[in-house]
Amino acid sequence: MSTQPAIRDLTRRAALGTLAAGGLGFALFGPRTERQASARGRIVLDYWEKWTRHEGEAMQAVVNAFNASQDRIFVRYFVTADIGQKSLVAIAGGDPPDLIGLYAFNVPPYAESGALTPLDDIAPPHGVTIDRYALGVRQVMQHKGQWWATVNTAGSVALYYNRALFREAGLDPDRPPRTIAELDEYHNRLVRKSASGRLERVGFFHPEPGWWSWLWAYHFGGRIYDPAADRSLVASAENIRAMEWMQSYSRSLGVDECKAFRESFGNYFTPENPFLTGKVAMIVQGPWVANLVGAFKPDLDYGVAPFPVAEGLYDPAAPIGLIDTDVLVIPKGARHPEASMEFVAWTQRQDMTELLATKHCKPSPLAQASPEFIVNHPNRGISVHYDIFRSPRAFIPPPTRVWQQFKDEFDTVVQRLWRLEVEPAKALPALETRTQGLLDRARDERLRRHGAAS
Amino acid sequence: MTSPRSNRRRRFRETLIGLAWTSPWLVGSALFVFLPMAMSLYYSFTDFPLIEPPIWTGTSNYARMGDDPTFLRVVHNTAIYAAFSIPLCTILGVSLAALLQGRVRFARFFRACIFIPTLVPLVAVAMVWMWLFNGEFGFINQALSRIGIKGPAWIVDASWVMPSMIIMSLWSVGQSVVIYTAAMQDVPRHLYEAARLDGMTAFQRFRHVTVPMISPAILFNVIVMTINAVQVFAVPYVMFRRPDGQNPAGHFYTMYLYENAFVYGQMGYACAMAWLQLLIILALTGAMFLASRKLVYYRGA
Repeated sequence: MSTQPAIRDLTRRAALGTLAAGGLGFALFGPRTERQASARGRIVLDYWEKWTRHEGEAMQAVVNAFNASQDRIFVRYFVTADIGQKSLVAIAGGDPPDLIGLYAFNVPPYAESGALTPLDDIAPPHGVTIDRYALGVRQVMQHKGQWWATVNTAGSVALYYNRALFREAGLDPDRPPRTIAELDEYHNRLVRKSASGRLERVGFFHPEPGWWSWLWAYHFGGRIYDPAADRSLVASAENIRAMEWMQSYSRSLGVDECKAFRESFGNYFTPENPFLTGKVAMIVQGPWVANLVGAFKPDLDYGVAPFPVAEGLYDPAAPIGLIDTDVLVIPKGARHPEASMEFVAWTQRQDMTELLATKHCKPSPLAQASPEFIVNHPNRGISVHYDIFRSPRAFIPPPTRVWQQFKDEFDTVVQRLWRLEVEPAKALPALETRTQGLLDRARDERLRRHGAAS
Repeated sequence: MTSPRSNRRRRFRETLIGLAWTSPWLVGSALFVFLPMAMSLYYSFTDFPLIEPPIWTGTSNYARMGDDPTFLRVVHNTAIYAAFSIPLCTILGVSLAALLQGRVRFARFFRACIFIPTLVPLVAVAMVWMWLFNGEFGFINQALSRIGIKGPAWIVDASWVMPSMIIMSLWSVGQSVVIYTAAMQDVPRHLYEAARLDGMTAFQRFRHVTVPMISPAILFNVIVMTINAVQVFAVPYVMFRRPDGQNPAGHFYTMYLYENAFVYGQMGYACAMAWLQLLIILALTGAMFLASRKLVYYRGA
């Protein structure tokens, strides 16, 4: 009788004592974070970046070189999937990393929301000025007159073609198509079907890889968004013509045949990529495709040219092409913006940009490149990408905060157009109304939040 | 004899001790469940781009849903998916459990085989089914071609996306089979003996004895499947979101909710969608409980 309460008291005390001892032990002797172990008195910067594999290794090399170059700052490189979403949550939660590697299209929404540190004042003292960058690249770095991002790698988009298949089809591999009409002609010459009528090869195939379903309008002399007026232009005559041109391919090849043909493609970074297997002879791609070729089919004889344009628009001195970049930003709320800028400046040195660009198989974002960089570049057509960088007719993804949603709406309609379910003249005005609605709502929200100043 | 005062003191002390021991759960639930729920309810009435503070906009997020064609499309897709996948999974689950009740050799082995797929992570499931459904090289179309049928482009063709999703939903039927099996084993044997004496056929015994007796398990499974169907996300997100955009036929409610929250930066709208989703699930569950009064038999109730 007398022992029962004693045992209960003892158990309770023991439980609480064990918990307390455990907590104390964890606090005193628990695992130390890498931050504490490796900092050794330095300022530690956390850098979130999206790259993996060879691209991540190249950036890690730049980070390592920076860490070894001085003893004041230590940068930790974290590979972060879905970086746009995770950065958004981290910034919203008030605990952002010191540096984030985002995409160009992230700049407008982040900048308008005040989530980025402007660089106009803090970059020049570190020797980073905007005039060091190639003309086309500068568009990405600024938004509404302010400088928000530096560019760690940049690419422009061009036509990649299989020279061996050109020769097989009786086409001159040194004379790639310049106009849309020529592209059509080359495509028709390159199409090959089996005895049963199944597609075995095409010249050009719009849904491959399908990353930029919206860019055809630009090659027809139009655009899909007017940033000055904040207007959607998806129903412009140029875009309607572009989409009719796209439909002419699925119409002539057969929609069901196209669906089946496309299902035979492997994923992008695999040996089953249709450009590597010869199923698609011409693709629209960035310079990094040379890494794909190098990894899986080094003997592929490929050529590079600016993507063809509609009749009357061809100008070899001013090619039309998309510039798509990766940007490096310092988020608002970063603990050490000055130290972060010091690292950014390191990454923007000519030798570092060229090191990174070589490994990523891209042109350097800077206006000047060393002769060795050009000569030793793994992409044989790198000069074509530079020509686009310098071209006054280069363009960037529409700089609007609703671009992601705008693009999703656009892609959905393009899929239906490709399957011939709707006509461009009917579907695009409806899409324009919807996308303009997105722009208007975003503008109203900005006005409500920031007044006319926004 | 103890006085009423000391009794009260003892009860008070016991309550305090009880609260102290349950405080981790109480505090955890308050901080990580009820507080976020309350905040999301508030956000649903605001314009909240996540990286800027929320601004009160009243019911505009809820009003906007009616004019948003993408919202209406995902509601339609999710409703169709739920309407077909839940009955199919229920019929298949009950049928498999019934088959495994009989004198089946290796019944335990078959039960394990049916259950094992539910242990595979959803993303892996999606990847496997993408290959099974591949129009050119997929196992399903290869098998169909052996019997002279040209299979469709299952996960590309808009008209075949929903059937492929519904077929895939049967993959996880094993979980409900285990519950139905347990419920069937709990049915008193004397009911079957009585039914047999009354001259009932095997199907009649299943229809008039087994099904009513396992109806609480069916109700439980249907409610769980309804919640899962309304919240379907991972599999279609992996399968139907391609580099050239989302296949509209494979766009579901929770996917659009996620996109609004974390891709489009419209957390207020996403929160409104989440609350509507909760209300829909509550309404459906309530309706099922109401219907269960007539359809579900509780022994001893």
